[in-house]
Amino acid sequence: MAAQTAEQQANADTAEAAKRAGKVDFKMVTFSLAGKEYGIDIMSVKEIAKAGRFTYVPNAATYVRGVYNLRGEIISVIDLRIFFHLPAERKAEEALESLIILRIDEHVFGVIVDAIDKVVGISSSNIQPPHPIFGDINVKYIKGIVENGGKLYIILDVEKIFAPEREEDIEAKAKSASLLQKEGELIERDRRTGDRGADVALDFVRETLAAFRGFHGSELTDAWFRSRFAEWKASRKAQDLQLKEASEADEFLGSFWSPETGRLWDDDYAAAFEAALPPIEARSINVWNPGCGKGYETWSVACIMRKRYPEARIRIWANDSDLLAISMAPNMVFGENVPPYYGDFLGRGRNGLAFIQSIRDSIFFEFHDILNANTLPPLDLILCRDVLSFIPPIDQKRLIGDFSDKLKPNGVIFTGANERLGEGWAHVGTEAVPAFRKV
Amino acid sequence: MRVEYINPFVEAAFNVLREVLQSDVRRGELYLKSTSTPVMGVAAIVGLAGDVEGRVLFDMDRPTALQIASTMNGEELATLDDLVKATITELANMITAQAVTKLHDLGFRFDLTPPAIFTGDNMEVSNSDVEALIVPMETVHGKIEINVAIRERA
Repeated sequence: MAAQTAEQQANADTAEAAKRAGKVDFKMVTFSLAGKEYGIDIMSVKEIAKAGRFTYVPNAATYVRGVYNLRGEIISVIDLRIFFHLPAERKAEEALESLIILRIDEHVFGVIVDAIDKVVGISSSNIQPPHPIFGDINVKYIKGIVENGGKLYIILDVEKIFAPEREEDIEAKAKSASLLQKEGELIERDRRTGDRGADVALDFVRETLAAFRGFHGSELTDAWFRSRFAEWKASRKAQDLQLKEASEADEFLGSFWSPETGRLWDDDYAAAFEAALPPIEARSINVWNPGCGKGYETWSVACIMRKRYPEARIRIWANDSDLLAISMAPNMVFGENVPPYYGDFLGRGRNGLAFIQSIRDSIFFEFHDILNANTLPPLDLILCRDVLSFIPPIDQKRLIGDFSDKLKPNGVIFTGANERLGEGWAHVGTEAVPAFRKV
Repeated sequence: MRVEYINPFVEAAFNVLREVLQSDVRRGELYLKSTSTPVMGVAAIVGLAGDVEGRVLFDMDRPTALQIASTMNGEELATLDDLVKATITELANMITAQAVTKLHDLGFRFDLTPPAIFTGDNMEVSNSDVEALIVPMETVHGKIEINVAIRERA
C-alpha cells in the first residue's frame, strides 16, 4: 500500500510540474551568439529580417555596423557579438546577416546575431534569476535563464541594453555623482580619470547582494548603498571588493539594519520614535506593520502609541510571510531584562513577563504575504522597516503605490533607517526615525 | 490570516484524519497562495461567518475520496455515489467543526455554513484577491489539501 501511495504521489508531482511548465505566458525569439543560445522577449521584437550592405557611419562606436533602410525608415544596426565582445565572423561583402528588429519605446534598432532559431513559448515562472557569476555577458543585461527542450536560454534584457538614457536619468546620475564627490575621495578620483571600474564593481556588489540575501538596491536605498560601497572600498583591497559568499553579504549589510532590530526598542529609541509620531485627533487609529518578523517592533510600537495617544483606540495589523517567526509573535514572554519604558505595559504571567491584555488586543498578527492582495481599512500609520528593500524593485513600486492608496490623507509611513521614499513623498521624520507623508 | 487561526485548523485536520482513517497522517509544509487553485476532482467547501468571513476548502482527487469514504464506512465503495459524497461532506464538517470549537475556546466567535461538495474534472477555484493558507495533508490514501481563506470582518 505504501509503495502504491508513493507512486501516486510521484505521478501527482510530475503532473503538477508538467502543468506548471505547460502554462505559456512568455514568448521569446531565440537566437545564437558565439555558439550559445539566447532569447529576447517577443514583445520587444518588431520583426526579423535578412539584410546586408549596411551604410557605414563614421566615428560611431565599434559595435554599430551602420544604418539600414528598412522600408523607408532609417534604423541603426548594432552587432550584438561585438557589443558583448564575442567573436564575430566577418562575412563577405555581399552576404546577408540575420537581423532582429527591435522596438524599444519609440526607437527601432536592428541587431545582428549569428543565427535566428525560432519562437519559444515558456512559462515565466520557470525563468530563473541570472547568477552574478555569468561568463560572457554582464549580468545586468540578463533578465534570466530558462531551460526549454533540453537547451538553456539566456534571456537578454534588451530594454536595459538599448533604452535611451532619459533626461531625468541623466540628471539623477549627475546628482548622485556630485553627492559621491563629497563622500569619498576615492570615487572622485575614479570619476576624474574616467575609470568605469568603480561603477562596474558597484553594480556587481548590488547584484550579489540580491542573489545572496535578496537585498534589492533601488532608489529607496541608493544613498546608503553608495556611501556604504565607498566605505567598503576604502576598507578593502581592490581585488577583494566583490562579495564572494553570503557571510560577506551579511557583513556588507551590517550597517543597513534599522536600530533595535530583533528586540524590544530601548528607551532612547522608543522616546525618539514617540517624538516622531504625528499628532492624530481621530479616536480610532489604524496601523499596518508589514514584515513584522518576530513581532518585537510591533509590540514596541503598540506600547509607544498607547503612551502617545492614550485616548485612542489603536489597532495594528502586523504581518509576515515567515510562518515560524510570526507564530511566536502573539505569545511573546520576557525575562527580567526589559527596557524600563515598557514597565507599565507588562504583567507577570505563568512563564514570565507578558504584555497586558489591552496591548494584546490592539495587535492582529497575521501570516500573510504582502505581495498578495492586502485588505486593510484606511490607515493612519504604516511601519515598514527594512522590508521594501528585500522585495524586487518592480513589486517595491507596486507596494509603495498600495501604501499610498491605503494611507489617509495625513497618514505617515515610517521606513527603515536607511530607506528613503522618493518622488511624491515628503520627509517629515527625524534623522533617527525617517518618516514620510504623501504630498 | 491571523496567526491564532492557523493551529486550530492544522490540529483539527490532523486529529480527525488520524482518527477516522486509523492510520498515520503527515502534514506537509504550510504555505500561502493567492492565485486561482485547480481542484483535484472532489472539493468540499464550508463557509465561515461571525467575527470573520471566509471559507475552508477540502480538495482531493477521486481515488483518494473513494478510499477515504470506503475506510470511513467500513465497506468497499467503487463509485462516487451519494454515500461517498455524504461521507466526504461529513469529514469536512468534522474537521471544520473541531477547528471552530478550538477557536471558541480561544475566544473567537465563528459560525459554520452547511458544507457543499463539488465533483468534476478540470475545475478551478478563482478568488484571487483572497489569500489562502494551504495545509497539505498526506494520508495513506493520498493527498488532501485544506485551503483556508479567512479575513477579519472590516
